[in-house]
Amino acid sequence: MSATVALVGRPNAGKSSLYNAITGGHARVGNYPGITVDILECKLELPSGTAATIADLPGLYSVEATVDTGTDECVARGFIDRLRSEKRSFVVVQVVDPTRLALGLRLTRELTEVGVPLVVALTHKDVLKSEGRAVDVAKLSDAIGCPVVLVNARARDARAAVLAAVDDRLRKVLVADERATFDPADVAKGCVSDVATAAEKRRREFTKRADALLLHPVLGPFLFVGIMAALFAAVFLVAEPAKNLMDKLIALARAGVTAGLGKGLISSFIADGLVAGAGTVLVFMPQIVILTIALEILEASGYLARGAFLVDRLLRLLGLSGRSFLPLLMGHACAIPAISATRIVRDPRERLTTILVIPLMTCSARLPTYSLVLSTFLSHRSAFFRALVFVGLYFAGMLAGLLASWVLRRTATKGKGLPLVLEMPGYRVPQASVAARKAWQSSKRFLRDVGTSILVYAAILWVLLSIKMPGAEGRERPIESSIAATVGRIAEPVTRPAGFDWRINVGLIGSFGARELMVGTMGVINGVENASEAPAPLAERLRDAKKPDGSPVYTTRTGLALLAFFVLACQCMSTVAAIWRETKSWRWPAFVLAYTYVLGYAAAVIVYQVSRLLGVV
Amino acid sequence: MTLADAAIGRPVRIRAVTLERDDAAWLDAVGLSQGEELVVLRRAILGGPVHVRTSSGGEFCVARELARHIELTVVSESEQDKGEPP
Repeated sequence: MSATVALVGRPNAGKSSLYNAITGGHARVGNYPGITVDILECKLELPSGTAATIADLPGLYSVEATVDTGTDECVARGFIDRLRSEKRSFVVVQVVDPTRLALGLRLTRELTEVGVPLVVALTHKDVLKSEGRAVDVAKLSDAIGCPVVLVNARARDARAAVLAAVDDRLRKVLVADERATFDPADVAKGCVSDVATAAEKRRREFTKRADALLLHPVLGPFLFVGIMAALFAAVFLVAEPAKNLMDKLIALARAGVTAGLGKGLISSFIADGLVAGAGTVLVFMPQIVILTIALEILEASGYLARGAFLVDRLLRLLGLSGRSFLPLLMGHACAIPAISATRIVRDPRERLTTILVIPLMTCSARLPTYSLVLSTFLSHRSAFFRALVFVGLYFAGMLAGLLASWVLRRTATKGKGLPLVLEMPGYRVPQASVAARKAWQSSKRFLRDVGTSILVYAAILWVLLSIKMPGAEGRERPIESSIAATVGRIAEPVTRPAGFDWRINVGLIGSFGARELMVGTMGVINGVENASEAPAPLAERLRDAKKPDGSPVYTTRTGLALLAFFVLACQCMSTVAAIWRETKSWRWPAFVLAYTYVLGYAAAVIVYQVSRLLGVV
Repeated sequence: MTLADAAIGRPVRIRAVTLERDDAAWLDAVGLSQGEELVVLRRAILGGPVHVRTSSGGEFCVARELARHIELTVVSESEQDKGEPP
């Protein structure tokens, strides 16, 4: 016989910690048809020898109230409904924060009323003790009509206590459930006693004192900006060396393939197509890991809810809410984890809007690209001018994202929104093992979902840039007669109003999947080696390029138009794949590509033409 | 009086939630139901959310536009629950 044990509970009840304690951190993503949110599960043996699958469900407030489809709550409820309808052997373990017992018991009452075999696991035993509170477990169990265990979810003995209770409950599975009707507030009052000393009472006030400072009307927003800036600076400081190391390892692997197989189509396909494509994915890994840990620290400490409280009003003006803040902020580092982080947004329309505008945030991959384009096309301008353009680009992304969300909420994602209601948990110290598990899970998910798409794209891109177009005449460099070059020439009449010739078009095709490939591709087509690492010779070549009438081919205006395009166009297949993964539809990734490319093209044309009118040369 | 304009620190009780049934039911499940006693702890600046603590021990951040749909009555001193929330 095999049983399913579903862990449920309100957000912040201590479910992740308990899951970690029971499973030792082992988890795989369960395969449940029709469920789009990852449900972690682990197979283990109960004390009686029964095989069991522990499933960690998303946070849940109610099994009766109506919730929108696609939200975490709906997924959790669907899972429980499925267990009931399939008549499988199962137990629901409801994780309850005993410091907020009356709230947790509301869900307990609903679960007992629908008759699921239930075990209540009270976590935060350590917090109860440190705050001088005691729970009469036997009395509580009698009052609610189901077994209750009190554990410290961070301690090793939590596993044995919970699994023994589950085992007992499974043996009673054929006995009709006692359908308890009780008042959660009365039961909580009757079962929790205050045995606090003066010091323990002071400890209870910690959250209150911390909030007085962190949510102060004047100081609070400043502290918030400071904490976020420090967090992201720390993320970059740690991720950057790891990313550079990853870059070097990929370069070594490519060189190794070329050395081993010699120069030729096959070695080029493996080194420049597959290995380079894998590199595009792997260089994001350090950021994914570190950002996931940072997100977990924010969430588990209780500060994430405070951040939402502080910025909700500002985001409301744009049709979003405080819950969207963190994904948007993360988008400035990398869109991939930011898109995953939108799962904390309860309102499905708001979540979709956030997903759709995240690609406009100035992610870290844009910054080196901006530097390279600036040094390539605007190297003859003053450092001050280039710095001004750089800062302008950063804010242009932010402004574009906010304007886009304003427009989307009135068009594509129009509809009634759910105003913010967020539980403010007490401040807690995050648990390192939970953060590590989440980082591991998000890395695996990223590799599985995004990596596959990128490898396919990298193979297609290699064909476009390396294979000669049938019927094309032979030219000095193979890339000039490639499929991409032919497409670039065909597109020239369309892109000329933005100042882009066929060579730039080839660069844009090369950077369709990863914007950082733009300069490298431009280097190849202009016969300059290693342009990405040393762009100066390419800058010189572009500056010296002349039309038949002797006028320069590329000007400052070309560079500005190109940058305008780069600010808006979603040139990141990893992001597109992440949007597909979260929306489970090709409609929205296609929409993002379409609207960002149309905006990018329009902005490039406007910048190129207006700068001419302003006399920029 | 609604939650949007309740005085900070004064105990109040939810008299009615004037939202659509589904939204009111969800709010009830979260912990903001009719009859619940609460205290406004603070309001965010520029019309931002309201931070409240309920007698069930929960603390919530409620958007101001939603707070306008939560009608309250003032709890007199004799009615106040003297005990700390469990």
